[in-house]
Amino acid sequence: MSNKFENRPLSPHLSIHKKVLTAVFSIFHRITGIGLSIGAILISIWFILISLGPSYFAYFQIISSSIFFKLILILWSFGIFYHLFNGIRKLYWSFGIGMDLRSVYGSGYVVIFLTFLSTITVWLFA
Amino acid sequence: MVEFSLPANSKVTTGITYKAKEPRESPKNLVIYRWNPEEKKNPRLDTYEIDQSKCGPMVLDGLMKIKNEIDPSLTFRRSCREGVCGSCAMNIDGVNTLACLKSMSDVKKEIKIYPLPHMRVVKDLVPDLSKAYEQLASIKPWLKRSNNDLTTDENKNEEKKQTPKEREKLDGKWECVLCFCCTTSCPSYWWNGDEYLGPAVLLQAARWVNDSRDSERKERLKAINDSLKLYRCHSIMNCTRSCPKGLNPAKEIAGLKKAIVTEL
Repeated sequence: MSNKFENRPLSPHLSIHKKVLTAVFSIFHRITGIGLSIGAILISIWFILISLGPSYFAYFQIISSSIFFKLILILWSFGIFYHLFNGIRKLYWSFGIGMDLRSVYGSGYVVIFLTFLSTITVWLFA
Repeated sequence: MVEFSLPANSKVTTGITYKAKEPRESPKNLVIYRWNPEEKKNPRLDTYEIDQSKCGPMVLDGLMKIKNEIDPSLTFRRSCREGVCGSCAMNIDGVNTLACLKSMSDVKKEIKIYPLPHMRVVKDLVPDLSKAYEQLASIKPWLKRSNNDLTTDENKNEEKKQTPKEREKLDGKWECVLCFCCTTSCPSYWWNGDEYLGPAVLLQAARWVNDSRDSERKERLKAINDSLKLYRCHSIMNCTRSCPKGLNPAKEIAGLKKAIVTEL
């Protein structure tokens, strides 16, 4: 391409495109995926602390009794359920099932509903 | 590369506001992205107030009215004005669609009109589609017959016939008008457009892969079986959401992936 065209501006994209639900579901799947990976590291640290003996585990108990920690744990369980249910939705898509627009939106709402239901159930009864 | 913000020369500034002549019965504001290559300035948003009672119902009618009566320098592609040619693809009210199929009354407040997202702008609402066309050419969108087929007596100098069932497999694929609304709504294409073919081109790939008269189905599948060309599709589904013809590129791409797994 000659230099003549290099000053052509790039048309706006993320900033002007409507936040359509299809894309929002997708980005949340990624965000929860990343969150879960970080959470998995924290959980392994927890296991290491347990195996190191009671004095180390006491440190963990101080941290884990804080409300902040609880909040993160709730978010993490929310992430697990969202990633799980949306993952199942995506598995169906791999077979080309439920990919018409109505099913895509319908199954999306079902995923949200199940995620909230599961998170609330887990924290009420566990 | 993922770059969320626009380069310095692409940042959009506010521009001029044109008021409609009195008396205005039903005024409507159209906020339109303007960029003139000869001005050496950043793109800007101009606001045009038009009287809807003296204008056709579609966004394209509004654009034509502006071009005819207010500002003849406004530049956009258009041809058939009925959703058949795919020329007037642009981002209206945040969603890519054809201006000729989008009713102005669908948008409650002012109508924001931008060129197709994440494309180089030639002028105003005209994006540079040469890269997308190149990608389309790369999947060889034409019927390919092997020499074997051509030399057998049965097929020599005869048209290759299709059963209604075989023809049905092309439904939902041949209707594409190549407006690239889907491709330019795909975040994956925004970040990886250099390599990823994008939904419009992959839909065309599916159109030729599934043609019973084509004898290179396997070769076609092999050609797109590539982590960047095909598998940058993460089923975001924005393509299906934005297609003004109601087609389903995401589903066709899933079909291609499935065919690659089961047939190659």
